[in-house]
Amino acid sequence: MKMITTDVAIVGGGAAGCYAALNLHRNGVQSLIVCKGLVGKSGASLFAGNLVLSGHLLGNTDDNARNTAEFLIKYHNQFLIDQNWARRCGQWIENIYYPELEEAGLYFRRDDAGQVVTSPGKIRSVAANVQGNSGVPFMDLRRKQVIKAGIPRFEETVATALLRKLDGTVGGVFCLDIMTGETIVVAARAVILATGYSDRLHTRSTGTREMSADGIALAWRVGATLINLEMQWWHTNDIAHPPSWQRMQVYPNPMLGSEKSARMINAAGEEFFNQQQDDPLAFGPYTVQLKALAKQVRAGKARYDGGYYAGFDHCDPAEVDAYTTYGKAYRQLGLHFPEQLVETAVTSHYRQGGIDVDTETMRSSVPGLYVAGGLAGHSNGLIALATYDGKVVAEGVMRDLSTLAAAPLVGQDVELESSRLDELRNSSGEGPAPIKVKERVRALMWNKVGVEKSEAGMRSALDEIEQIRVDLLPGMRMANRGKLANYEWLDAIDVVNMIDTCELIIHSSLERKESRGPFFRQDYPLTDNENWLVANVLKKSGNGVRFERRKYDLPFFRPDFVTKDNLEVVW
Amino acid sequence: MVTAATAPTPTAMDARRLGQIERRDTLAARNSCLAPGEDIAVRIRRWDEATRQAAYQDFKVPYQKWMRVLDVLNWIAENEATDLAYRWFCGSKMCGTCAVRINGREVLACWEAAEPVMTIEPLRNLPVIRDLVVDRAPYEKKIASFEPWIERREPYPSFPEPLNHKQMKDASKALDCISCMCCYSTCPVIGLGNLTDFAGPAPLVQLAQTALDPRNDPDKIKRSLALTGIFHCVSCYKCEEVCPASIPIVGRIIEPLKAKAVLLNPGMAKHSSALRDIVAARGWVEPSALVLRVQGLRVLARMPRAIRLLVRGKINPLKTLFGIRTAAAEAARRILRTGVAK
Repeated sequence: MKMITTDVAIVGGGAAGCYAALNLHRNGVQSLIVCKGLVGKSGASLFAGNLVLSGHLLGNTDDNARNTAEFLIKYHNQFLIDQNWARRCGQWIENIYYPELEEAGLYFRRDDAGQVVTSPGKIRSVAANVQGNSGVPFMDLRRKQVIKAGIPRFEETVATALLRKLDGTVGGVFCLDIMTGETIVVAARAVILATGYSDRLHTRSTGTREMSADGIALAWRVGATLINLEMQWWHTNDIAHPPSWQRMQVYPNPMLGSEKSARMINAAGEEFFNQQQDDPLAFGPYTVQLKALAKQVRAGKARYDGGYYAGFDHCDPAEVDAYTTYGKAYRQLGLHFPEQLVETAVTSHYRQGGIDVDTETMRSSVPGLYVAGGLAGHSNGLIALATYDGKVVAEGVMRDLSTLAAAPLVGQDVELESSRLDELRNSSGEGPAPIKVKERVRALMWNKVGVEKSEAGMRSALDEIEQIRVDLLPGMRMANRGKLANYEWLDAIDVVNMIDTCELIIHSSLERKESRGPFFRQDYPLTDNENWLVANVLKKSGNGVRFERRKYDLPFFRPDFVTKDNLEVVW
Repeated sequence: MVTAATAPTPTAMDARRLGQIERRDTLAARNSCLAPGEDIAVRIRRWDEATRQAAYQDFKVPYQKWMRVLDVLNWIAENEATDLAYRWFCGSKMCGTCAVRINGREVLACWEAAEPVMTIEPLRNLPVIRDLVVDRAPYEKKIASFEPWIERREPYPSFPEPLNHKQMKDASKALDCISCMCCYSTCPVIGLGNLTDFAGPAPLVQLAQTALDPRNDPDKIKRSLALTGIFHCVSCYKCEEVCPASIPIVGRIIEPLKAKAVLLNPGMAKHSSALRDIVAARGWVEPSALVLRVQGLRVLARMPRAIRLLVRGKINPLKTLFGIRTAAAEAARRILRTGVAK
């Protein structure tokens, strides 16, 4: 077992984790990054297609600026967001984010005359090098900035537990190097969790391979308060076949340098979504698209797992190819682009909720534990927002650092975690392999806790989870007990986290008795602003859960109705 | 579905794909050569823990619509060999971590269509950790040694800074790189191991992201280029052939980097410059002259070899000293000056 001591341990190597590390470094605070994948090459940050312009950037008008804020609060978060945080974030993006990225070398796509290429419309965006692929150069830059700063990286290393100091506060992380099988104990004055919000908990999920809700499970085990776990976003037009392409999206947002974007066609050949006409803000049609699809599904003209199509057959291919990567999937399948469309299906995407934080410092409810980016429950989406959190969490930790002493960890916790991992590796039951249990969990979430939810379906899902926990987990069969690159062992570690998190998600979904945005309850179809314009707060109590509701301040935007059928609400 | 017969005729740009089209090996054909449910015969190179040796294991996998190589691996890991070690994260050509070789050809597993008969092996030129997982550390170390970031001579003005796409067109191509290592695995010069100090195509593409960026300090670029051994590239185009991101690695990355190296570090380009000078002066390549120019007095240490070559008629000192073809030299100079034959 390797022992390492640092000031701040950061778990997660995406936009939030990297930026937190860079900000701490800039201020002389030592940190290290533990990343389950490769820093900048795994997780959701890579998928940033384009970058939204906030405020008055690049000639944004007052209307553009206001629309961008409204889009974030209504269409992205259905009002379940700290609007004051959103305002601070927007100002930072306008004044700091873009200049800082460009100074570091990020290439915002220009035309030959030197103009930054933007998408037209009510909300404008730009791209890093190519639209559809902006996350790749963005995160590659972060990776290189982390290398340049000399910040230690523990890659392909999974954090399996948070460790406590003797006074009960969080002061360390137990890790396993997946490539060597070596365990690592990191002792730190503070821990930042930044593991993202795109977990693979459904059969179809946009999350990358390694995402198994570790952040939620680890934080919950040390008693962190969670909020709005039920608020799950969906991609409506991800490619239906093959399974490995389930997170490849036929991007519906406006194209750079064009007035057009993708359209969707039902099984009867009728267009049912065209972003230019059907999305009032003409930018982030995710929830709007999902509602349009739900109507098709109810009319028998599409299924959530396929039977409808998306594409660019109304566009000139040169228009699509000028600044985007959108033609690549069609061509790789040997389809005629843009004449032929591709079959699409729904995919579970980001979770809006997560760990409850104080948005001024990103403190969780557990002393010593901080959270940044999508894993926190204060907002949903966008690489810029996750980056802003990286700044805020670094400041929050630095503010508290004088009160966070380096202290010995509870030795018993370290031993218990070490033997738990050994037992998983040596599991010799007659049951299924861990990967089979993973797929079983995903299937039950897809079938019973999918786009459309009901009390009966979710109760049945809870029963099934209990059965998996009691019958399957103890008897998992490992084909390989070696330590080198043992992904089977990793699957066994993952599936425990998945089960715990799915259970919490289902409890939260049962608690919210309304429909809101992408959260559809068949038994509660109305959006209910009287009772449910609140954070659905989940607290650990004894050996169970306790819910509370917390009202949001609505200083800038508020809904204009009390109750309404969710499918008729534009956002 | 498009059939091979109606596939578009190749343009000048994809002339190198002509053979594929003649063999009806198009993307359309690759995506339709199997019907759902048909068996794929897969052979995977694995690490056998018992014998502590590499061994091949055979599988039969039912084809699913538009199946990728990654779907084949996922199916096997779920149903036949739950301990199969292979790396992937995104499944959509962004993370660049799932590259393998199928039937001797480097591919990105998430991107390439499954074939009826496939032997799947790990990438070459990197150590294997287990099964299909390679150790990326040697590559990462090379990249870090280039310090692949921008250093500005002038202070950054403000957003947006003056810059246009013409200035960025080569760097922009390099920015499509997802460092999947396909080119690194196929590169024959890298395959020579420590015989040369050639950095390899992927590290050069990564370097080009900042070295071909007009905002970067030329002194910084000069320092980085000095570490690349770039003139060992033999321009065989294997890297371009396998690149899943379709980056023109030789034409738009390595050639512009070489051109920069000639200007910034003339010493690095001694061999190429000498060759060029000899062709311009004589109208043909005179190998002995090239050896003399590049090796200088060091040839004296190799006199025995020179004598053997002379005895066997392999070299001709008279021709080396006086063999100049005036008309050819004129033509060569014109081509070198203008880039065109006539």
